[in-house]
Amino acid sequence: MQSEKFGQLDPIIHSRIRLAVLSILISVKEASFNYLKETIGTTDGNLSASLSKLEEAGYISINKTFKGKKPLTTCRISEKGRKAFSAYLKTLETYVSFKK
Amino acid sequence: MNEMQAKDEIRLIQEMIEKTRKITAGSWMFFLVWGIVAILGVAGMYVLVLIEQYSWIWLNWVVFMGIGVVFSIVYGKKHEKQQGARTYPTIATAHVCFACGMAFFLVGFIFPLLKLYAWGLIAVFISLIAGILAFTLGGIYEWNLLKWCGVLWWLGAIGMVFIHENYRALLFVPLLLIGYIMPALVLQSMYHKQSD
Repeated sequence: MQSEKFGQLDPIIHSRIRLAVLSILISVKEASFNYLKETIGTTDGNLSASLSKLEEAGYISINKTFKGKKPLTTCRISEKGRKAFSAYLKTLETYVSFKK
Repeated sequence: MNEMQAKDEIRLIQEMIEKTRKITAGSWMFFLVWGIVAILGVAGMYVLVLIEQYSWIWLNWVVFMGIGVVFSIVYGKKHEKQQGARTYPTIATAHVCFACGMAFFLVGFIFPLLKLYAWGLIAVFISLIAGILAFTLGGIYEWNLLKWCGVLWWLGAIGMVFIHENYRALLFVPLLLIGYIMPALVLQSMYHKQSD
């Protein structure tokens, strides 16, 4: 009964770290791996796994370059990611407003 | 998923977006340094006018503007590296500042050298461009105080027309204090609040 009234949440985004990553990337042009890690407050391993999943789904693009001798990983949200994030927000709103 | 969890997720989204705003507030140092550099430039120019060394005024501005440009490049690169992310407002700000910087250079140096207008008019045109810069940045940051600073610069440009040309640039001092130093201090306080 409930599942009919509430929208289905995208399972790719429905994780704390992946949702946080998309929330940051939606408001910036690009963000480095370290910035994401520090802002979200997670570990390298967890963030890497989350980024890979988002990249596989086509929601973000990951660019690996070098700045001097240091490796630099930057992430950007894709158009598909924007649409998915927007749809996720709309679905979330149905959960909040439904019980009002 | 229940309502409580949904609210938690919305809170997380808001928190992450708020954190990216800190990057924008971090630009206070540019306002402060350019405000100080410009005030020193005006002071230097006023001294040169007092001792009637008009031919050195251009060098005075080249030195102070040079300091501002070098600082902007060095600090800008360091700041970007430290932040690790590029927001759309910071990208737009960089473009607007570069465009206005070019306009300052053309209006303040090149056009007067080409004798397109009298040197006394430079201060008026500079105020007009400074107003465009402040008003546009106010729009990008959605910050009304900065928009009003832009309006103030335009009023200053009108006021300058009624002042003797030797003293026009002096009106820059209160305009710079209100139009650059004050927003810098407000931004600095916002930045530190967000850091806490």
